[in-house]
Amino acid sequence: MGKVVLEVKDFSFRYRQTKQKAIKNISFQVEEGSFFCIIGANGSGKSTLCNALVGLIPHYFVGKMSGEVFVNGMKVEDSTIADLSAKIGLVFQNPFNQLSYTAGTVAEELAYGLGNRGVSHEEMVKKVEYVAKLMRIDHVIHKNPLELSGGQIQRVALGSTFIMEPRVLVLDECTTQLDPLGSEEIFDIVKSLNQKGITVIMVDHEMERVARCADKIMVLDGGEIVAIDIPERIFETPDIVKHRIGVPDYVKICQSLREKGYTKREIEIAEEPTIELVKEALKG
Amino acid sequence: MAKISNSFVPKDTIIEELNPMTKILAVFSLGLGTLIFPNSWLGLIIIIGLFFVAYLAKTLKDFTKIMFGFGIPITVMLMFIQGCYSPKNVTIIAEFGFLQVGLEGVLYAFKIISTLLVFLGTFYIMNKTTYTGKLVAALTNSGLPPKAGYLVLASLNVVPQMQRRMEVIQEAQGARGVEIGGGIIARIKAYIPLLGPVVMSALTDAQERGMTLETRGFGITGVKQTSYVEVTQSNLDRILKAILILFFIIVVILTVLMKLNII
Amino acid sequence: MKIELRNMRYVYPTGDEALKGIDLLIEGIEPVAIIGQNGAGKTTLVKHFNGILRPTSGEVLINGENIQNCSTAQWSKEVGYIFQNPDDQLFLESVRKEFEFGPLQIGMSKEEIEERMKWVATLVGLSDKLDIHPFDLTSTEKKFCSIGAIIMMNPNAMIFDEPTCGQDVDGNLRLRKIINELKERGKLCITISHDMKFVVDNFKRVIVMWKGKVLLDEKAENVFSQVETLKKSFVSPPPITKVAQGAGLRKTVFTTEAFIKVFEEQRMV
Repeated sequence: MGKVVLEVKDFSFRYRQTKQKAIKNISFQVEEGSFFCIIGANGSGKSTLCNALVGLIPHYFVGKMSGEVFVNGMKVEDSTIADLSAKIGLVFQNPFNQLSYTAGTVAEELAYGLGNRGVSHEEMVKKVEYVAKLMRIDHVIHKNPLELSGGQIQRVALGSTFIMEPRVLVLDECTTQLDPLGSEEIFDIVKSLNQKGITVIMVDHEMERVARCADKIMVLDGGEIVAIDIPERIFETPDIVKHRIGVPDYVKICQSLREKGYTKREIEIAEEPTIELVKEALKG
Repeated sequence: MAKISNSFVPKDTIIEELNPMTKILAVFSLGLGTLIFPNSWLGLIIIIGLFFVAYLAKTLKDFTKIMFGFGIPITVMLMFIQGCYSPKNVTIIAEFGFLQVGLEGVLYAFKIISTLLVFLGTFYIMNKTTYTGKLVAALTNSGLPPKAGYLVLASLNVVPQMQRRMEVIQEAQGARGVEIGGGIIARIKAYIPLLGPVVMSALTDAQERGMTLETRGFGITGVKQTSYVEVTQSNLDRILKAILILFFIIVVILTVLMKLNII
Repeated sequence: MKIELRNMRYVYPTGDEALKGIDLLIEGIEPVAIIGQNGAGKTTLVKHFNGILRPTSGEVLINGENIQNCSTAQWSKEVGYIFQNPDDQLFLESVRKEFEFGPLQIGMSKEEIEERMKWVATLVGLSDKLDIHPFDLTSTEKKFCSIGAIIMMNPNAMIFDEPTCGQDVDGNLRLRKIINELKERGKLCITISHDMKFVVDNFKRVIVMWKGKVLLDEKAENVFSQVETLKKSFVSPPPITKVAQGAGLRKTVFTTEAFIKVFEEQRMV
C-alpha cells in the first residue's frame, strides 16, 4: 500500500436538527494518487462524509461529532477550512452556488481564493492562466461567469477549487445537473488531474462511470460502510443490490453470458473489454 | 438565455483609466464644495464642466438625458415650492394672478438644484466609467475591510440571478393554477405563493454559497487581501487629486471670507 | 389528449431563436421522451404545452384549441408541469397543503380532493409524511412532493423536466411506477431526460432535439440504432445498447434479456 493521504478513524456525525446519525462510526484510508469512489442510495451519508473530509464538518455545519479525520497528516478538527483548502478541495452539485459572486469575469472568479490568501498579482495571473487552460475555459476567461453554460460554470468551480493547490479533490455528484456532454468534459479533466497525481474522491450515481474510473469503491448504506473493494469485486457480489445501488450494464451482460455458459471469463467493467468478451463468445 | 446586463461598458477613455479613488474624491470634493458655497454660481460652472467630462468619457448622450431628465422636473417643482411659498421671500420679482414669486426662494431653489445636480452628475460619471471590481479593489487597497468589499460586490452580482430565479418560480406557480395577471388584488394574491420559494431557495443557496466562500479562504485573517483586478495610480491621478483637494480648501476659505463679509 | 405544433417558432426577447420551426403531433397516452443536449430547446419546447411560453409564430393547439386562448393557470387543469427544481414549486407548510393547493385553485370539490389525496400520497411514497413541512423532506422526497402536487390536479397530460436528476435506484423505480400508473389511468406523460437508461426503460417514443429543431421522432429502437445522427446531437445510447452495437448484434436492445436473446439467435446461425 502506498502513502496514505486521507484517514478517517471511528468517525460519527449527527446534524443538530436530526435525531439519527448521518454517519455511524466509520473508518477507512485513501492512498495518495488513487481514484476513490463512494456510492450508496440517497441519504446513505455520502455528502455528509464529503463535508467532513474538507472541514465543513465540524467548522461550518453544527452537530455532534466523534472520531477523527486526517488529511495529509493534518487533523481536520484542529485546522481551519481555509488552511485545509491547500490540502483538499470540494466541488458539489449546483454550479451556480459555487460562484463567489464577487467577480465580473471568469479570471477574477478563479483568482478569488488566491486573493484571500494574499497571493501577489503576478503569481495570480500566472496561475489563473494555467488553471484556465487545464479546465478548458481559457477562451471564456474574460466573460461574465453567469453568461456561461452550466457545464462551463462547473469547470469554473472546479478550477477555482483546484487553483488553491489541493492534493486531494472531493467531487460530490458534481455532474448531476449537467448534460452528458458537460459531464464527460468534467470527467476528462478530473481524470487528467488524477494522472498528474491528484487524489480524487468521487461520489456519483452513474455506475458505468464509477466502475470505469475507480481504483477502489466504498459502498455506504445508512451511514455505515458495507464494502470497500476494487470495482470488479464490488459489482460481482450478488448482495450488493440490497444496498439500493445499481450494477453497471457491462457486469449484467458478462454475468448473464457466464450463467448460460457462453463464456468462462471473469466479468468486465468497461465498454471495450465487454465488447471483446461478447465478440469472443459469439464465435463460440 | 437572458444576457446579464452590466452598467459598466468599457470605452477606453481617459476617465475610465483614472483610479477609482480619484473619482470618489471628485464626487465629494465637487459635491461638498457646491454645498457649502454661499451661492449657486460655482455649482453652475461645475455642471458645465461635467458635460465636458462626460464628453471625454464618451457618455455625453446618456449623461445629458439623465441631467435634463432629472434637472427639469426638479427645477420646476422646487421653483414653484420655494419661489412661491418660501418664508424667506421678501423681494417679489414676478406676479401671476394670486401667485407671487420671491427672489430669495428662487435663489435658494437654484442652490439646492445645482448641488443635487453636481452630486448626481459626478456620481453618474463615476458609476458609468468604473468597473465594480476595480472600485472594490481600490477600496480594499485603501483599507476597506474585505468583508465590506464582498458585501458590495456580491449584492450587485447576485441580483440578475435572483431575477432569473423569480421568473422560474412565477412560471412554476402559474403551472399550479395561480393566475399571475389581473388587477392589483389578484397580483398581490399571486405574489404570496412566490414568497415562500424565494425565501426558501435563498436560504438553501446561501448555505451552499457560504460553503463555497469558506473553502476559498473567505475567513482568513491577518492577511492583506490581493486582487486580480489591477488598480494603478498615474501621474494624472496624483495631479487631479491635488487639484481636487486644493479646490475644496479654496472653496472653504472663500466661503468663510464671504460669510464674514470680507469679500 | 392531443398536442399539436404547426411550424412553431420561438425567439427570445434577446433575439436568439430557440425553436426554429417545429411540427409535432403528440396524441393518445403513450409516454414520450424528449432528449438532446442542453440548449437544444427541450425545455423551451415543453413550456409551450401549457402556455408558460407563447410561440413567436406558428401554432400550438391543445386538444384542437389554440394555446393563446387561455392563461397558464387555466391550462394547468389540462396540462400539468413539474419543474426540475422542486424548491421553485413548493411553498406551503405541509405536504398535505401542497397537495390541496392546486386542486383548490382550479375548483376541485373537497370530496374529490380527499379521495385523490390517498391515492397520490401512496403513489409518490409520502403517505406517512403528509403533515411534515416540505422543507424537512429530503431532496428526493421534495421532488416527489412536487410531482404529487401536480398529479392531484388531475391533468390529462403531465410534463416532467429531468425527473431523474439526483434520484437513486429507488427513486427511478418509483418514477417508473408513477408513469405506468398514469398511463393506466389514461394520462399522457411527456418527459425531458438526460438519463438514457431511464428513457429506454420507460418510453417507446423518443424525440431528439438539436439546435432548436426536431432531429428524430421515432420508436426508441429506431432512434438508438441511428448512431451517426445521434452523435451529431451529442446523445449516446445506453451502455447496454452500445455494447450490443459494438459487438455486432444486429438488433437494438435495451435490456439484458433482449441482449441475450439476440445474442443466442445470432450465435445459432
